[in-house]
Parts: sequence; structure tokens; C-alpha cells
Amino acid sequence: MDTPLETVLISLLLLVPFAGFLAVRASSERWAGPLAIGLTSLGLLFSVVLLSITDQPSVPILGEWLRTSGGSILVGFRIDRASGVILVLAHFVALLVQIYSLAYLDEKADRPRYYGYLQLFVGAKAGILLASNLIVLYAFWELVGLASYLLIGFWYEKPEAARAAQKAFLYNRVGDVGFLLGILLIYNLFGTAEFSQLTAVAPTGVGLLLFMGCMGKSAQFPLIGWLPDAMEGPTPVSALLHAATMVAAGIFLLARIHPLLSPDALVVVAFVGTLTALWGGFSALYQTDIKKVLAFSTVSQLGLMVAAMGTDNLTGGLFHLLTHAFFKAGLFLGAGAVIHTLHTQDMRQMGNLRRTMPTTFWAYLVCAASLAGVPFLSGFLSKESILAGAFAWADAQSSGLAYGIPLVLLASSGLTALYMARQVRMVFFGDASSHAQGSMPDRQKAPPASSRLLTAPVLLLAVLSGWVWFSLNPLSAHGSWVESWFSETSLMGGTTAPNKGHTAPVWLAPASIALVALGGWLGFRLHADPSVMQHSDRPSPNRWIVRASLRYGFLDDFINKFIVLPIRRLATGTYRTDARVVDGAVNGAGVGMVVLAHITNALDRFGVDGLVNGGAWLARQVGRVTRSVQGGRIQSYITAAVVGLLLIIWLIS
Amino acid sequence: MLLSLLIALPLFGSLIVALLPNSQREQFRWIALGVTAINLLICGLVYTAFDQSQADYQIGQQLDWITLSLGSLGSVSIDYLVGIDGMSFPLVLLSVVVMLIGVISSWNIQERQRAYFSLYLLLTGTILGCFLALDFFLFFLFFEFMLLPMYFLIGLWGGPRREYASIKFFLYTLLGSVLILLVMIGLSMSVMDPISTALATGIINGPEQADTNIIRLIQAQLANGQIDPSRIVHTFDFRYLSDGGNYLPGSFLSVAGETFPLGIPSRMLAFWAVFLGFAIKLPIVPLHTWLPDAHVEAPTPVSVVLAGVLLKIGGYGFLRIAWGFFPDGGAEYARVLGGLGVLSIVYGGLCALAQNDVKKMIAYSSVSHMGFVLLGIASLTPEGVNGAIYQMVSHGVLSAMLFLIAGVIYDRTHDRRIDSYRGLNHAMPQYATLTAVAFFGSLGLPGFSGFVGELFTLMGSMQSEWLPGWQTALATLGIALAAGYFLWTLQRMFFGQYWTRVGAHVGDSGAHMGAPLRDLTPRERGMLISLGVLALVMGLFPNLVFNLTSASVGEWLKRFLVG
Repeated sequence: MDTPLETVLISLLLLVPFAGFLAVRASSERWAGPLAIGLTSLGLLFSVVLLSITDQPSVPILGEWLRTSGGSILVGFRIDRASGVILVLAHFVALLVQIYSLAYLDEKADRPRYYGYLQLFVGAKAGILLASNLIVLYAFWELVGLASYLLIGFWYEKPEAARAAQKAFLYNRVGDVGFLLGILLIYNLFGTAEFSQLTAVAPTGVGLLLFMGCMGKSAQFPLIGWLPDAMEGPTPVSALLHAATMVAAGIFLLARIHPLLSPDALVVVAFVGTLTALWGGFSALYQTDIKKVLAFSTVSQLGLMVAAMGTDNLTGGLFHLLTHAFFKAGLFLGAGAVIHTLHTQDMRQMGNLRRTMPTTFWAYLVCAASLAGVPFLSGFLSKESILAGAFAWADAQSSGLAYGIPLVLLASSGLTALYMARQVRMVFFGDASSHAQGSMPDRQKAPPASSRLLTAPVLLLAVLSGWVWFSLNPLSAHGSWVESWFSETSLMGGTTAPNKGHTAPVWLAPASIALVALGGWLGFRLHADPSVMQHSDRPSPNRWIVRASLRYGFLDDFINKFIVLPIRRLATGTYRTDARVVDGAVNGAGVGMVVLAHITNALDRFGVDGLVNGGAWLARQVGRVTRSVQGGRIQSYITAAVVGLLLIIWLIS
Repeated sequence: MLLSLLIALPLFGSLIVALLPNSQREQFRWIALGVTAINLLICGLVYTAFDQSQADYQIGQQLDWITLSLGSLGSVSIDYLVGIDGMSFPLVLLSVVVMLIGVISSWNIQERQRAYFSLYLLLTGTILGCFLALDFFLFFLFFEFMLLPMYFLIGLWGGPRREYASIKFFLYTLLGSVLILLVMIGLSMSVMDPISTALATGIINGPEQADTNIIRLIQAQLANGQIDPSRIVHTFDFRYLSDGGNYLPGSFLSVAGETFPLGIPSRMLAFWAVFLGFAIKLPIVPLHTWLPDAHVEAPTPVSVVLAGVLLKIGGYGFLRIAWGFFPDGGAEYARVLGGLGVLSIVYGGLCALAQNDVKKMIAYSSVSHMGFVLLGIASLTPEGVNGAIYQMVSHGVLSAMLFLIAGVIYDRTHDRRIDSYRGLNHAMPQYATLTAVAFFGSLGLPGFSGFVGELFTLMGSMQSEWLPGWQTALATLGIALAAGYFLWTLQRMFFGQYWTRVGAHVGDSGAHMGAPLRDLTPRERGMLISLGVLALVMGLFPNLVFNLTSASVGEWLKRFLVG
């Protein structure tokens, strides 16, 4: 339970990175990296110790953040097994990525800024994992968004990077608006936002509002478009934020709010996840940018995890989050090594790298196979767990349509094998000379010391993509320690441990292995599709399916045309109305008063003048008073106001 | 005494500056700096004396000022009465800080320094007078007098269209003042001062004998018509105006007051009149069009004061006067008022998104952010009202920072168009960093004060029994819009390859590479960093503000339980 050590560790995990952000930013080009690596190593140490002493969900450490006459809002942090494991994972990948970045970043990179932002990210991510209530979680959620914005826009002089950063933040904001509304409604309904007390089911609408937060952060349909664009950021950042940890925050959120989601809400979650899995897989098929393939694959895998959450399979979703983090980080870092060597991200200019970069090749191959779901690797285990859960869920549904979800998920796993095989084929096999004439000499110049820093983390991540770290049985994680890490009991506490692990139908493993084999074989052939392989910067694919895949189902075109553009038009229109109608009325009233004054003046001069001698006298008197007060109008107004007031009082009496 | 000093010191300083010969030109700004700095110190003293648990007015001072016999209608007393409570004190603190920053930002004013600093100090004194006065007459005097320095500060030191802007500002506010004035007169005729009336009727022989029993007794007598009208002492005292028991039965603004055609009770009309008066100041759409013009034309320090402090008098007037004296109006029309708040939030946000002038963009963002204040107040919940006050303080700090930021670039190039700049991050990294801080703070990033203000007003409106849920839902769109217009500005001005259209005027097509712009001077850096730190500290420790407001707001809300 709650021990002083726990409190100290949690505080340190939050404070060190934020202090580190300032310290690293203030440090020099040379020391920023080592300092940041040191701090994250400390964080890793803290989180490992914290996990090792965590058994049951801890009692939250609460502090009063603010109090009004209405009540108070607490800041609280707590730890449980699931968040502890993810905390260790986040620190571990962050550490690897920072070490890797030492070699990856070139000389004029502005390291204090880079490593500082990474520290900010690590702290914010820890905050999400450790938050004990929705409001605190939301606060760190936004800070993670800031870190992502800053890191995507790290090369701010590139207009594409600046645009991508903004797009990421805005897409996330759209999700977060719903999320915030959901939190406010939850607060209204339950009078608290503490996870430990949010155990009853909330109305479906409220649950879906909360889910919007996940849709933004985890790039679920239709808020997908920011993630591929986020690849404008430095590749190690893509590995850490936009593959392994940050985008998985949405999955973690779903696990946290799972008890609040009604069955109807869960169906929507499952549907959105499944749609995203398919959409991402399809979009990855024909990409030519090595990072974009991986980005869409991340979208697809996140969809898989969300679908797992929707099909009541917390264990499977979080398990896939964990395995995905390792092999996808490995893939990104491997891709980074390739990009660093060839100075291009275009796969059409790559080829045959298995000869020149053998270590990277083998590590990449293992990670890719794990992602594709090849047996004896971690990805196979977690995907089986998700699929088995989905089939079990469909069994329990009343409608036969429910089987659509596991079947589509199965199909999108097949797609994974397809696009990964295509990528491996394009990058590492084939004939290099025809593709990358200009690039090869550059590779020779790469200093060997740096290349070891670039390969070692990838190798380590490839090793961690084996099955043995997660389950002794290579073909099923059922009954392994993963289930004790990621279960509702682990998240919510309690003594009974309901066995939520799902036994897969017997035909599932053979079927998916066959699918993977088929996908792999197709993928190896797909690489040569001539419509994509043209050597031009702007491919003009004439086949609609290629075009649709490259532009991810025209989703962005749709959003730009039917959402972004109308909002900008509405803004311009509102402002025009403001300037012409609202302000026009004001100016018109002003002009009208002047005209009226002139008319009155004329009437006065020609009609009434002779009659009102007394009035003239009064006017002279007032004029004299006015003239005597230096400066004119305003003082006289004040005088008039005071005199007038007294006059009125006198008249009334 | 301390509070009177807060008002008197700037007024006295204004006089000194006005009387000094021009040969002492160098001293003017030092006097202004000294006065505002001493004011800050005095506020520090007040802070230590302020009892956070007390809901009532405190640290007050009262002097008899004017007593006027109205014959058979009794008499009216006007007092010099100042004091603070949890609602005004945070705004007093904010004013003192922003006015000090304003002086520092005025440091390089070259033209007519004497007039400038004299008017500036006059403005300082009258603003503080507004927040401190507890007598409606005194409040109104300060409220009106504020217009004079503001009018000249915009009209003489402003940009190209300064005359139009200053006249517009003046007339708009004047219109509001007339409405407020009418209600003030009506109130004074309808409300008695129980203690003075007790003295006049001979129930007690000295003011020291007055206690709650006596007040209850005299109020009961009033209700039963046992008091001779000629002995009633009418009052402008805020404390008596907010107590329904002091309203003369059958008077113009009593609860069962007169009814106008269409069945509108006079109290509701009076509520709308003061509401409109202060809504112009806040400003609330569609009464906001003076604001973008005034901001764009005003010199930087005046924009800072205008956005940082002056707008808050509108919100303060809502709390103290519109809702304070006419709680029935606030309750009756809560939905409409909340709707107006939401309209301001969304409308201001959309207009901000359409701007190419960075100062106008910030001005419209102010309209949007002030909408949250109205929404929070209209919710009539502790969260909403505390949040509204917090939002005012937070916006005061952040908008001051934003206008300083606009001033920095205008100072360099005299060009405020967003599309005249690209990649400023390259030439002015410190400026870019602090701009990002201000923008993210304003768009509601947790950690900064803007987040707390928005969270609380939204929380209040969501919980409110008076407001429908869709209003909160629409208001959250304002948060998304804020991210849109701030980040888009950031992207257009600060990212990309460095390029500026230095010195080019509207209509010139000759864009050229100018010399790199100078990064922040130590003075600019100091101002921006201190405001940024203030927003951060408030965001991390919101209790600093809520502890001040909470007790008074709790007491204030009780008046809505009855109706």
C-alpha cells in the first residue's frame, strides 16, 4: 500500500523531468545530451523500483489544488501494476531514443532545445500514467500535446514541419474539447473525478465524449491525418512519441475509463478502432516514404488496440501497446539509421541495404516480422490475444453482425504482413545501383562510432520483440504474467482476479499464420508496382486504389474541404459582418445623430429662435461655464452630469 | 487609510507632474514609476491585513461627504466610502501590477511627456477608485473620470486612426454611463440608509448604537410604512443597496415596483440598463466594436492597461451592481445572459481567426475570453463566479503580455500585419519563446492561469441549474478556436524561413529583405518574463486567487437562493 518510498518516487518521477527541462535547455550543445540521458536513466531506475514495490493500486497521494466555496479540486497521483509497467516502458524507450539521438542529430541541431523538449515529454507522460483523477490526467494530457507540438516542429524553418506541428495540436484539441466536456459531465454526475470512485457506468454520450480524447491522441478515425504528417519531426522523436508512447496514451486512457463506458459506447469504440485498423493498413500499402509506411502502420495498430478495448479486452489492448512499443520503436530507429545513411526517406531510392547494413537489416527484419505477427515473436502473442478477445466478444453479442469486427481485425492483420513485406523488400532487397546511385558514397563517410550508437538500440529492441519476455508459451500468452500486469484487477484493485484471458478458437492461430504468409508473399511482389515506382518526386498514380491509399482514403481532402475551409469561411464571414453590419450600425448611428443635430439646428434657427430668448440666455451661461473649464468637452460633461443629477433630485423633491 | 492612499497617491502624482516645468522632463517617468511602485508596496501591506475568511467589506474608510435635504422625500447622503472584499481585492492587485508594467512600457514615450504621465497617473487613480469605492456616487464619479485620461491617451498618442478610435471609445462608454446613471438615481431614491434613518427618526442617538437588531427593527418599520418619508435618509452605499430590506415599499425599484408596458417590471429594466452599461465595458458581443479600434490605435502601454484592467471594470460592475443589486434579474435572465457569454466566446474566436493584424487578433481574443467571464457569472455557481473573477485576473496578466508582444514588433517595424513576417524565431529567439509562452498560456495550456479560468467557468456553467448544457458545449468550441488562431499566428509569424517586409506600407508591393530585427531589450524581456512567471504561478497555485475570492463569493451567492 501507500508507503513513504512510493510518495518519494512518484514525486521524483514528476519533478525530475520538469526541472530537467529547464536545466537541459540552459545547458550547452555538448552536455545537453548526456545530462538528459542521465536524468532519464534516473527516471528509469525510479520507475523500476516503483513497479517492484507495487502490488495493489496505491492509495492516491492527494493534495488540494484549489478550493472554492463550492468545493475543492484535488491533485492526486497513484500507481498500479499496469501504469507501472507502462511507466517503465516509457522511460526505457525514452532512454534508448535519447542515446540514439546522440549519433542521429547532426552538428547544428540545437541539442539543448531537443533534449529539453524530450524531458518535458517524459515528465508529462509520467503525469498521465500517475494521475489519480481525470482533471490531473487532462492537464498532463495537454502538456504531452505541447511536447509533441514542439518536437514535430523542431525543424521550424521547414514550413511543412511547422504546419504538421500545428495540425497535430489542432487535431488533438478537437478531440480534447470533447474530452473536457466529458470530464465536466463526469464531475457533474459523480461529484468527483477520482478514478478509484468512477466505477459506475456513465451515460453512453458521456463515455463517447471521453473517448474523443483518445481519438485525438491515438489518431483514431477520423482524426488520423495528423499522425502521418507528424513524421516531419526528427525520426527518433517519431519512434518515441508517435509510435511507442505518446499515441498509446489514448489506449491507456481507455483502460482507465473502461468502467465508465456503457456497452453501447463500447460498441462504438470497437467499431472506430476496427475502422481505423483497416483504414491505416490500407493507407500504408502504397506509401513510398519509409516513415509514412510506419506511421500508417501505427495508426492501424492503434486501431487494433482500441478495438481490443471496445471488445472488453483490456489485457489484449495493453499487451499490444507494450509489444508494439518495442518493435515499432525498433522499426523507426532502424528506419532512422537508413535515413541517416542515405539522406533520403524515399523507399524508391533504396534497395539492397541488407548487404551494406546487415545489422540494421536483421534487427529490422525481426521487428517487422513481429509487427506482421510471425509466430515466436511478441507481436504474434499480443495480436492473438486481441483477436481471441474479439471473437469471444462477438460470441457474446446478440447480433451476428458483431463478427464483422474480429473478421475485419483479422484482415487488417493480414494487411500488416503485406505492407511490411513490401517495405522490407524495397529497402533491403533488390538492386541498389539502379535506385540509389548518388546516395551510396555518403554512407561510406558515416563514422563507425556513431553507427554503433545507431544500431545497438535497434538490436536491443529486436531482441525484446521475442516471445519469451512475455510468455513461456510461444503461441499464446494465456495464463502468463502479462495477464496479471494488465487486468482490471491490476488497474482498479480488488481481491478477486477474474480470469479475463480468452482462449482462442483452435483455427485462429493457423488461420492468422496463413494470412501472414499470404500477405508476406503478396507484399514481396507488390513492391514492383510500376505506378508507384516511377522515379519522380510527384508520382501521378493513375490507378484509383493507389491514389486512395497514398492519400489515405481522401480523408484529409474531405476534412479540408468540408470542415477546415468552411470554418475559415465562417471566420472571414463573421469578421466581415462584424466590420460592416455591427460596426456599420454603430457608425450609422453616429452619422445619424450628427444629421439629426443639423436638422434640429436648422429648425432651431429658422423656427424657434425668436421665441426662446430664455433658452439663448441659458445657452450663453452654459457656454461660459464650458469655456472656463480648460480642455473642453469632458470636464463640462462631468460638470453637467453632477449638476444635472442635483437638478433632477431637486426637481423630484 | 491605506486604500485611500492607493487612490490619492496617483492623483497627487498626476498633479505634481502637471505642475513641474518642462525642464524636469526626465523626472516625469520616474515619478510615475515611483508612484506605481509605492502603490504595489501598499497593496502588499493591504494583503497582509486582508482577512481571507471574511466575506464582508474590510479595511474600509468612511467620511461624510454630501448630505442633501429633499424636503418631504427625506434626505440623501453621499459618503466617501472605500473598502475591499474578496471580489474587488484581486482586481485591485491586478490593477496595481498592470499599471506598474504600463509605466515601464511607457519608458520611451517621447512626445509631450508631461501630459502623458500626468494623464497616466490620473488614469491609475481613477481605476483604483472604481474598484475601491463602495458608494455608488463615488464609484460613478471615478467611472466617468476614467474616460478623460483614456480618451486623450488614445487620441493624442495613438496610431493613424486615433481620433476615430478615441471618439468611438468615448461615445460608446458614455452611452453605457448614461444607463448606469439612470439606475443609480433610481436606486438612491428607492433605498434608505437604515442607520442614518434610525438616527433621523430618533430610534437611536448615535451611530455606535446601531446593531443588527436595530437594523432589523428599522427595516420592519419601513416595510410597514411606519416611517415618515421626510425622515428617510436615502443612500448610495453599496452595502445598503444590496440588501433588499432597505428598499422603500412601493418605490420605483422595490421588489414589487412599477411595471412598464409589456409587463416588464422596473427592476428588470434597471438590471438590463446596468448590464448594458457594463457589457459595453467588458465587452460583450454585439457591444464590442469599440474594442478592436481602440486597441489597434492605442499606444502599447495604453492597450496594456485597457485590456489588462479597464475591461475588468465591466465584470466587476456585473458582480457588484448588476447582479449584486438586482439578483432577481440575474436569475430571471440567466439563460439569455449565459447565451450572450457563449456568443461572445464563439464570435470573438471566429473574428480572431480571420485577422491579419496581430493586435486586432489579440483584441478579438479578448472578446472571446471575456465571454467566459459572463458565462461564469451567469452560472450563479461557486465554481463559475470564482472562476469568472479568476479569469479576469488571468486575462489581465496574459492580455497585458500579449499586447506587449504586439508592441515589440510594432516598435521595430511599425507594421502589425501577420503576413509581413515569417520565421521570426530565427532572428528573435527570445521574443519567439516568450510569445509562445503567452500564446500557449492564453489558449489554456495547463500550468498557466488561462486553463484554470476556463476550466472553472466551464465547470460552473456545466453544473449550473440556471444554464442549459448546450451552452457549455458551445463554449468549449472557443477553446478549440483559441488554439486555432494563436497557433496559426505562431506558425505564420515565427516559423519558416526568416523574412520580413520591413518598413513597407499598405499597398507597397516591394517586399524586401531588411536588416535582421533586434531581439528583446532587457526592459522588454523583464516585463514579459515577470508577467509570464505571474501567469505560471497563478496557474500552478490557483488558490492564491481563490482563497481571496471564495468567502465573498459564497456570501454573494446566497442572495440567489431566495428568489
